[in-house]
Amino acid sequence: MDTERLLPEAPQPEPLPDWEEELARVGLVRRAFMARRWYGPDWWFVVIGSVIVVFLTLVALFPQWFAPHDPSANVGPRNLAPGEKPDVEVLVSLEGSGVANLRDLASGDREPFGVVVGTPSSEIARAAADTIGEETGERIRLRIQRFDTLEEMLGAVADGSVRAGAGSNIAIEEVLDDYPGVTIQGSLEGAEVTADTSFILGTNQLGQDVLSRLIWGTRVAFLVGFAAAAFALAIGLPLGLVSGFTGGKLDRVLSLIMDSIYSFPGLVLAIAIAAVLGASIFNVVVAIAVVYIPTYFRIVRGQTLAIKEAVFVEAARSIGARSWEILWKYIFPNVIPSVAIIFSVNVADAILTGAGLSFLGLGLPPHIPDWGIDLARGQVAIQTSWWLVTFPGLAVMFVVLTLTMLGEGLIEIINPRLRDR
Amino acid sequence: MNSLLLLFVALGVPTLGVLVYALVTGSPGLRRHVLTRVALTIPMILILATVVFVVLRVLPGDPVTSSLGPRGNPEVREAMRDQLGLDLPIWAQYGRYLGSLFTFDLGNALTSGRRPVAVELGERFPATIELIVPAAIVAVVGGILAGTLAGSRRKSATDYGLRMFSVAIYAMPVFWLGLILQLIFAVQLGWFPVAGRIDPIVSGSLERVTNLLVVDSLITGNWAALGSALRHLVLPAATLGLILLGVFLRLTRVNVIETLQEDYVAAARARGIKEGVIVYRHALRNAMIPVITFIGLQVAILLAGAVLTETVFSWPGVGRYLVERIGLRDYTAVQGVVAVFAIFVSMISLLVDVVYSIVDPRVRY
Repeated sequence: MDTERLLPEAPQPEPLPDWEEELARVGLVRRAFMARRWYGPDWWFVVIGSVIVVFLTLVALFPQWFAPHDPSANVGPRNLAPGEKPDVEVLVSLEGSGVANLRDLASGDREPFGVVVGTPSSEIARAAADTIGEETGERIRLRIQRFDTLEEMLGAVADGSVRAGAGSNIAIEEVLDDYPGVTIQGSLEGAEVTADTSFILGTNQLGQDVLSRLIWGTRVAFLVGFAAAAFALAIGLPLGLVSGFTGGKLDRVLSLIMDSIYSFPGLVLAIAIAAVLGASIFNVVVAIAVVYIPTYFRIVRGQTLAIKEAVFVEAARSIGARSWEILWKYIFPNVIPSVAIIFSVNVADAILTGAGLSFLGLGLPPHIPDWGIDLARGQVAIQTSWWLVTFPGLAVMFVVLTLTMLGEGLIEIINPRLRDR
Repeated sequence: MNSLLLLFVALGVPTLGVLVYALVTGSPGLRRHVLTRVALTIPMILILATVVFVVLRVLPGDPVTSSLGPRGNPEVREAMRDQLGLDLPIWAQYGRYLGSLFTFDLGNALTSGRRPVAVELGERFPATIELIVPAAIVAVVGGILAGTLAGSRRKSATDYGLRMFSVAIYAMPVFWLGLILQLIFAVQLGWFPVAGRIDPIVSGSLERVTNLLVVDSLITGNWAALGSALRHLVLPAATLGLILLGVFLRLTRVNVIETLQEDYVAAARARGIKEGVIVYRHALRNAMIPVITFIGLQVAILLAGAVLTETVFSWPGVGRYLVERIGLRDYTAVQGVVAVFAIFVSMISLLVDVVYSIVDPRVRY
């Protein structure tokens, strides 16, 4: 709506500065890049924030692309520190000998298989052989030859007197260079032992990969954060519009109710609601949304009150626009910028509250990979495993920080007056 | 006498004193403001109580089923429904509930041998107070000092560093900060105990008067207990305080920057007054007014933070009680906690608001 034309008494606009003329000629994308010049650091906050948020959204949507392991499966040994290599029993054989796993030993003539006395290798090898046997239907019978030391065993593998051997990968890797031709073929169970079987952020008490759980946790955090903020927006915005626009008794009653909820500790209210509704993602969303409805109500109502008095609204009224038309066409679009800003910060808040709820064991069903749940589990092992309480918290902080940075930058750019609210 | 009631009397007497002072000595404008504020507090408490009632009684989910399980004995179930008054029509239940609020009889807990909720809360509230008061002091004093430092050295490395700190601390989940402090200072360094309120060994020797352990050990001169209580207090209070400190830092910084641009600051500088004196004596004093009002608004955040902090540090306060009883599906207890929080928050905000309106004559309805 071109309001200037409705107002003949408006002063003549000053000639546009150069950059604004330039701006009028270019497309939206270039416009966003040019904005860098006059917004300084805030522009960078918004751009960097947006890029990270887009990336995190991608992670939240497709965690399986990024996570090295299944977050709920017991993929490794328990309580492994970050970067610590799991101690796996591996199969070693001469390169080119044709023995790459236990099954290759099954064929025919029961080749000798070297283990070191006093290590669990032989037991694990037998168990693995039985499992493979059950799966494939052919029985692997290992003829095990015992050695006193690892060096003797590897020497035997190197000179071909046994076809394969087994031992701990960490011990073997240390001395492997002394035995040319001997290579690690994989774990006794047949899994590949490469760099990615070491767990970058360690494993938890159940042997789940901490990194994979972090990555999958992004999904719940984003879902809860965005859905709760959107839910609160969907209720708070119309209520605020109507309340601010109509005024009177309705406004007073609604304001009092919203102020009361606003003044109450939000987390406590969310706890009560989540507890009554029971464990499910949807219920967590509802519980958190209720807490943030007053935030939107207050900001929208305040804006509506201000815009209601603006000259263009008066002009619209004077040409006979109906109330709902004014509300929908003139006031609503002008409320959107401030709501958009609050939304970003609000998502961050909702993620924090959601993490708090699940830390307390409320809301989310326990099988969902979630940062709050992981933190609660990590606290139990705080004396021994520092990584379990460190990384999920860093993840929450990183996401909240990014969203806040984005929001603050937007505030500065779109509406500097809102800044200190 | 009910110890919870005692607590609210302790809070209510100063509030009432301030109200009476404002009404007796105040100007007509102030009187009207105070009366409006009081009149607004009552519906506020009622609304919050109603919200709690709606959440706990009207939303789907039956307290009896959830506390006894789906296969509970029908007779026990009936007795419990009867005791809770769940067979009454919803309006009668509502009336009963409001009545119980005003007499501070919050009903009997469904667990822990049906003890009155008010008594249980009375035992635990002092622990929460003992946690949130030092936390508030850490937040306000630390925040104002750091904010002044940042504001008076605007755009210096100190300023940027402190601002980054305040943003980072805002993004931190309270309970995670608690866990990290626990990890570093209790587990790794061993400077402070990991959890709890006092060493069980000295706890027995401490005579309980107010149940505020620091106060009790001071009154009775039990220095061993005082040391233990203080050592246990450091990490939880720091956790809760630091989270709020960032907010106060930002607010003070903005206000100091604005005040330092005032004409009287320029005049003071022209008269050759030292910069330190200008900042800490002139600017800070004026910058502090909006900061102080803000404290009233932060009580809600303090209480919410206390729920998480108490859980992390096994601090036997109201917050942990709430979480415990939610786990046990004890709805009477949950309802009691939420109602008491509502009254507490409303009273503090009334008190701060009235004090502020006495100090600053510009604040009027």
